[in-house]
Amino acid sequence: MKRQVPLALCFLFGIAMILTQFSPHSYSQGVYREVINWSLIINPFALILAVATLIQTHITRIQRRTEHWQYSLVVFVGMAVMVLIGIPFGPRNSYFEWLYNNLQVPMDATMFSLLAFFIASAAYRAFRARTFEATLLLITALIVMMGNVPVGDLIWNSVLSWIPMEDGASKVRQWILDIPNLASRRGIILGVSLGVISQSIRIILGIERSYLGGGGD
Amino acid sequence: MFEKLMNIDRRIIFVLVALVVIIPTLIPIRLPTRVAEPTQKLYNYIDELPPGSTIIMAFDYGPSSLAEPEPMAKAVLQHCFTKGVRVIGITLYANMPTLAHKLMQKIGAENGAVYGEDYTFLGYRPGALQVILGMGNNIAAVFETDYHGTATTEIPMMENIKNYDQIDLLLDLAAGSSTEWWIIYANSRYNLNIAAGVTGVIIAQMYPFLQTGQLIGFMPGYLGATEYEKLLNAPGDGTIGLNTASFIHLLIIGLVALGNIAFFIHRRREE
Repeated sequence: MKRQVPLALCFLFGIAMILTQFSPHSYSQGVYREVINWSLIINPFALILAVATLIQTHITRIQRRTEHWQYSLVVFVGMAVMVLIGIPFGPRNSYFEWLYNNLQVPMDATMFSLLAFFIASAAYRAFRARTFEATLLLITALIVMMGNVPVGDLIWNSVLSWIPMEDGASKVRQWILDIPNLASRRGIILGVSLGVISQSIRIILGIERSYLGGGGD
Repeated sequence: MFEKLMNIDRRIIFVLVALVVIIPTLIPIRLPTRVAEPTQKLYNYIDELPPGSTIIMAFDYGPSSLAEPEPMAKAVLQHCFTKGVRVIGITLYANMPTLAHKLMQKIGAENGAVYGEDYTFLGYRPGALQVILGMGNNIAAVFETDYHGTATTEIPMMENIKNYDQIDLLLDLAAGSSTEWWIIYANSRYNLNIAAGVTGVIIAQMYPFLQTGQLIGFMPGYLGATEYEKLLNAPGDGTIGLNTASFIHLLIIGLVALGNIAFFIHRRREE
């Protein structure tokens, strides 16, 4: 029963939702709207599940004293403070906003800003023209980078002024994005879409069952 | 010597990056910019909307990536408020409502826009895809109240707005895959016009949608924000950010070139 019921529900709703896409009948569209409303109600429960999983993961880390387990305590303190202020007083509470603006925003921004340092260091060490493909990637990346900022055209117009093409960096960058990039992206989109369709059919028909987890019948 | 150069202490690179970020931020230089077609298309579309039109602005980024989309949001909000175009703000990111609300209030106050009449912020609801699809049926059923707790149906500017049929454009300010969700679920199913403002790392993903017309236009990173500010003749955070980005790009290009020169000379000597 543990497996049959979810499989039957998945089949029923999967087929019903496909059919609603092809039928403009008011009854069909009513079913579609109703299912969307249900899923809007289900989603907050997914958030609760996510919080429960987070708590479980960090409790395990603390219990087992794994490496850097102390940070898990910070997670709980942060979560408790925001929940205790946020839930009773709402997100417009001055303390909640102060904590968000002065702790979460700067910390988030700092974490992401560190990427600039690591990217610069990694690019210097790892971005080497060792093979033909790597060279091609390197040249393309450098042109796109130059074309992405106005200083690229300034350099092109002054250093490469003998080439009869004004603002060449941004023009070549635009050509790379418009032609080779677009063609390859479209290929990826088509491939992914076909994969999604085939996987969806497998799930609806009950062939693919990994989403059910490892429980018994 | 070349081996030393190849294995340069990473702290030297870190110091260089810090300097290249700090100096152009403190000493702003106005570099000449050319407005590219995707930004121009978005600007023209909003500029041609009659006063009283309504757009949705989706703040689909987080505090970690706000440096690029926020200048775009400021520029477009300013454009809308001066043109009399009404703006509905929403977000699919749980950690974004406070920032988005603050930004809309700030730009609204600067341009004399009235909350509830010229703009509103509906906040966040969980389940991105269901929110996008649900809004196509009934916006008030997904966002029963705005960020202030006022019933959506009681907000004056929402009086005649039920779903996407009454929306002229959705501008997605994105730092992830959200623009593709809006295109797949709101454009394909409900024919909602979509435009985007995206961070630098996802610019390349937007071109197939631009070519098919599924995107009206888009602002690519700092460059897009600067181009929009140029069209408004109001240089702002985008222009400052682009200065910094210009020099950091140059530094990385220089470092890659230097690393490769050292690598080739070292390899030739070894051979």
